[in-house]
Amino acid sequence: MRTIWNFLVPSLLLALSFTPRADAQGSKLVQSTRAPTGGVPAEVLVVLAQEESGKIDPELKKLTALRRPPFNSFRSMKVLSKPKVKLVPGRDAVVSLPNGRRLKLALLQIMPDGRFKMKVSINRPEKADYLPLLQVVASAGDPFFVAGQTYEGGTLVVGVTVDPKKTLQLP
Amino acid sequence: MESSKTEQERLQMFFDGELSSEEAEAVRRQLEDSPEGAAELAAWQAIRDGIREVSDPWPDAVDSDELFARIEADIRAPAVERNSRESMPALRVVPGGRERRVWGGVAAGLAAAAAILLAVLTLPEEGTTPGMVRGSKVVAVDFGEYAGTVFEVEGGAGQPLSVVWISDEEVAIP
Repeated sequence: MRTIWNFLVPSLLLALSFTPRADAQGSKLVQSTRAPTGGVPAEVLVVLAQEESGKIDPELKKLTALRRPPFNSFRSMKVLSKPKVKLVPGRDAVVSLPNGRRLKLALLQIMPDGRFKMKVSINRPEKADYLPLLQVVASAGDPFFVAGQTYEGGTLVVGVTVDPKKTLQLP
Repeated sequence: MESSKTEQERLQMFFDGELSSEEAEAVRRQLEDSPEGAAELAAWQAIRDGIREVSDPWPDAVDSDELFARIEADIRAPAVERNSRESMPALRVVPGGRERRVWGGVAAGLAAAAAILLAVLTLPEEGTTPGMVRGSKVVAVDFGEYAGTVFEVEGGAGQPLSVVWISDEEVAIP
């Protein structure tokens, strides 16, 4: 019987050491409010949505939120660009929009629950800001949208997804 | 009560074939006189026929007396020394290291199973990080010279996703 324990206990301890620590990443994010070294990756999805019948870009099929009201009034959607940026606290990340305006993103804080607090603005060259200030709290992989700008007979839908993981997941 | 018990015993002996032919005939007539008795008799006959039918395939060649005599003889015979490797290789006791290796394998298997179970139980749901709140939420907004609104749409996982809808036409200030 002692022989069993001589093998079983070390084996279990070894096995436990290889067991995925489910709370590892979460607790790290909870305890740290600083952005990871090198910044937090984010993706800006720029979509031209139109009410005229047309195709829905295959890239958007997984983005089920765009099939719900009020987005479902658009009969065609085309991904115009999908730039990736790194969000570093204290430094604005700028994305040029197809209408000449600039989307500015800034990471303000990683919340205790792991979500990201961001500041967003959309500026017009030589004019007052189109969207002077927007503060959003978002969890990794979950986008928020800014829509309503007219462009080429349609409407621009801008989705911003922050995801500290390597692969960005569309919800 | 006593008579009933005796009657029951008599019936049992009848069904077991332990009564004399006269007694058996008397019991049979008695049973056949009443519907209940006739039914009981029929049931017992059916059982007896069934048993006979089942036991028929067993050939008479099986001599039970001889069989029991052989069993008894084997029991009384002196124990045979069975230390020959050829006689019982499957029951050979393997001392020392191999036994330990066997138990070690069992223990390792148990540990692996426990690890798999723990991994399954503690594996985070795909696409989520434990302790995190899903979705996005607007905490502050300034539409400036434009009109706008904030609402939510449901994401693929049912999480709320914020949508800021801002008009592209400047609001005329009166």
